[in-house]
This record gives sequence, C-alpha cells and structure tokens, in this order.
Amino acid sequence: MLEIKGLEVIYQGVIQGLSDLSLKVPQGSIVALLGANGAGKTTTLKAISNFLPLEDGRVTKGTITLEGDNILKLAPHEIVRRGVFHVREGRYVFSDMTVEENLIAATFAKKGSQSRQAAFDEVYTYFPILSQRRRQMAGYLSGGEQQMLAIGRALVADPRVILLDEPSLGLAPLIVNEIFEIIARINREKKVSILLVEQNAMIALKYASYGYVLESGHSVLEGTTQDLAANKDIQKFYLGRVDEFEQA
Amino acid sequence: MSPLQLFIEYSVVGIAAGGVYALIALGIIVIFKASHTFNFAMGEMMMLSAYFFYAASVTFALGPWLGLGVALLSSVVVGLIIERVAIRPMLGRPFIAVVMVTFGIGAIIRGIVGLVWGPNELQIPAILARTPVMLGDIFVPGRTARAFAIAVVIVVGLILYLRYSRAGVALRAAAADAVTAYSMGIDVRRIVAFSWVIAAITGCISGVLMASVNTLTPHLGVVAMNVLAVIILGGLNSIGGVLVAGLIIGWLEAVTGMFLPTSFREITPYILTLIVLLIRPNGLFGARQVERI
Repeated sequence: MLEIKGLEVIYQGVIQGLSDLSLKVPQGSIVALLGANGAGKTTTLKAISNFLPLEDGRVTKGTITLEGDNILKLAPHEIVRRGVFHVREGRYVFSDMTVEENLIAATFAKKGSQSRQAAFDEVYTYFPILSQRRRQMAGYLSGGEQQMLAIGRALVADPRVILLDEPSLGLAPLIVNEIFEIIARINREKKVSILLVEQNAMIALKYASYGYVLESGHSVLEGTTQDLAANKDIQKFYLGRVDEFEQA
Repeated sequence: MSPLQLFIEYSVVGIAAGGVYALIALGIIVIFKASHTFNFAMGEMMMLSAYFFYAASVTFALGPWLGLGVALLSSVVVGLIIERVAIRPMLGRPFIAVVMVTFGIGAIIRGIVGLVWGPNELQIPAILARTPVMLGDIFVPGRTARAFAIAVVIVVGLILYLRYSRAGVALRAAAADAVTAYSMGIDVRRIVAFSWVIAAITGCISGVLMASVNTLTPHLGVVAMNVLAVIILGGLNSIGGVLVAGLIIGWLEAVTGMFLPTSFREITPYILTLIVLLIRPNGLFGARQVERI
C-alpha cells in the first residue's frame, strides 16, 4: 500500500502546493485524484516520485510510505526501483529513440527476475500496435501510441504502483476508452495499483474504485467512486451535468 | 612523382591524421550528450594522459604496454575526479559557467604539467612501428598509418557500443530528457560520470597516439581546438558523424598544406565549417528534431 499522511509541499520557499494531504492507495486498486487546474494533483504525484526538487519545490511536512517504508528522502531513480513508476503528464517518450529503445531505457527501473524479452513481449501483448512499430522512432507515433508506449515503459519496470498523470490528454475519445480498458486489464491481471490523475472526471470515476477531490492543495471530499458520482457537487463541477439539464 | 600521386599521398596522410581527430571529438561529444557541457579541457586531458604514459613507461620503467595500462587507469581516475569535484556541483548551472570551469581545469592541468615535466620536448617509447605502409604506390608513414588504424577501431567500437548497448540507450535517454531518464530509474549522475570515463579513455589513447606520431610537449593538447571544427561539422549531437567529419577535416588540412602556405592550414577547417553551417545549421549529421505535427 502507498500511503500519504499530512503532506505539505512548498514551492520556491513560499508558494504552498499541498497542505495536510492524506491519501491511501491500497494494493491492487485504482484511486483517482480529481480537481481543477492547480488543485495539486500533479504536485501530489511529483511529491511521491520526488521530482519536486527539480522544480524548486520540497516536502516540508508529512510522510510518504510504501508498504510501511518511508520513501520520502529517496532519489527519483531509487523510488522507481522500489516499484513506484511515474508516467508523466505529456507522455515524454524519447522521441528520437525507437519504440524498443524506449522500452530498454525502462529496464533500468526493473527489479524482478523476469527477463528483458519476456517483459517486452508482455508490453506487446497489451499493446500489439507497439510491436509493429518497435523499430520506429517514438516521435513519429500518434498521440495514442505514445501514451501506450509511456504505459508500456511502466510495464517493463514491473512496478507495484503506477502514478498515471492525465493519460487522456489530447486524445480522441475512442482512443481514451481503448487505453483505459487496457489500464484496467493491467490493474486486474498484474495486481498493480494505480494512482490516477485525470481531468476527465467521467472516465476517472468509471475506472477507479475510490477517489479524492483536491482543492487548493488539500482533499475536500473522498469516497468510493459510486458515492462521488452520485454527489451533487461533483456532478455540477466535474461532470458538467448542469449543462445537460439546462439543455434538456 | 606526378602531381596526382602527390595529391593522393597527401590525402591519405591527411585522412590518417583525421582518425585521431575523430577519437578526440568522440570524447567531447559523449560528455556533451550526457550533460550538455562543452569540455574545453579535452586537449589538456589528452596531454596529461600522454605524460602519464611517459612517466609510467620511462620514469618508472614499466615498459610501453604496462605503461599504457597505467596511463589509461590514471586518466580514468583523473576524469572521475574532475567530474566529481568540478562538474557535478555545476550541473544545472548555465552552460557558459560550466564551460568556463572546464577552461579553468585545462589551465590547471597545463600548469601542473609545466611544473612537473617542464616545457621541453620529451620522447615517449615507440609503441607504433615505423615501417611504412604501402597502399599500391602510395607511401604512408608507418606510425601515422598505425595510429589511424587504432583510432578508427576504437571510434567504431565505441560508436557501436553507444548505439546498441544498454548503457548507450541510457546515455541517449539522459541526453534527450534528464527528468524522464530519472523516471525510468536511470541514475543520470552516474551517466555523466560514465561519459567522463569514456572521454578519459579516448583522450588517453589519442594523446598517446599524438605523442608517438609527433613528440610530447605541453602543447600537445592544442590539436583539440581543431577538433572543435570536426564536432561542429559532424553535428554536435551526432556520435556517428564524428568519424566522417574527423576524416574530412584531416584530409582538408593536409591538402591545403600542399597547395597553400601553412598558415592557411589552420584556418581551413573553420572556413569549411562556416560554409557547412550556412547550408546545414545542424552540421552534416546533426539530428533534425523528430517531431510529429
């Protein structure tokens, strides 16, 4: 289980990114972080993977534990090797490297005994299109394929938790559904937990089992996704139901 | 000897000298890729390595081969010390600041070498046979030919290694995007240290080769400045481009030396570079950014 308790993050010594945030990602679950732009969703993920120092931010209070071990002070590459893989918003594939070389790069995060080829074959089973494109430069892939590659790299690492930031960003609805179906399959079959940040609240609530709503850096509402989906405020602010009613 | 034969002979000798240029350039490019730092101390690292070779093989009488081993090892240690003490604390600082640090390191090495070994020419043990190599009717000086062969084998070996090995993938990943490389579990700082090891090795071998073809003086490293032209010509990002660019620059220098006064010899690489950059701003083999619109 990945657990955050009382987390406070400060950027540049003065700007508050998170305040007193607590959340839990039980092993094997999909947990969604919802909230408007600037609410602190991505900051939460960066605090976990320890990318904050690269943006002049730091954790000033609280703890982050993985299976009870404090991972707060570990370097980013060590956190990955512990089994927490961050798929960043915007995908960030290595565009002038081939698909397969992108996967090779992710083998540095691998801890398990599974062979490299077996790990790649698994990626290609989940994303057959990547297999056809394995010798192509990743920069020439479509947006959806790049997102698949970004998730594929996480699969190679065989992590316990995937931090998944805005996988639907800039993708056509059909592709988004396809990718989320595969994410759900990976979660089910590999028992890997997923902490999902997603602007598209509709799809986040559909695939996650539990959710937290962030506002100004702390959690204002949490609950099972069923309860959240039924909540009037959620419907109004995140699902845009009001407009539908007005139009009807 | 006909003018054509003479031209061919000059060309071959020039291309042969270009092999060592490619080796030096490779050391500079690997560091550039790993940390976006331009290592202006490369010439001095070469020169220092050649002095290590002299000290080990002559002063301590270890003989040429053991001496070369000791020189390689000490060069790698020096490379790692430079990286750890002077470069790592500067990571993330402005490009020009880091570059100035490498200039400073170069000056320090020149000073130390001057203090320890003095300004005079030294003769290092012959590791390259002098027997000339004949390519048909063309005469290639023995040491130049052998230096070329060694340099090209190492350059090609390293290019293939960086192209196909896991370490090569990590280096390119770190070069393309350090944050994402970290998120793949790649320890980017170790990759930077690794690039200094590669540079120390290419610097040591090219330094020893240069010192065996010519003589050993504290000015040995000046040649690394000509290599700048090689790097710009090949494209800063192109590891494979250095080989071709090195050979072109070596050839051009020799051929200009044949027709024009020696002072022209030194500026031709830069004139060629200028022309190439006007036509191809990324160099001959520089990566065009792969971007999907």
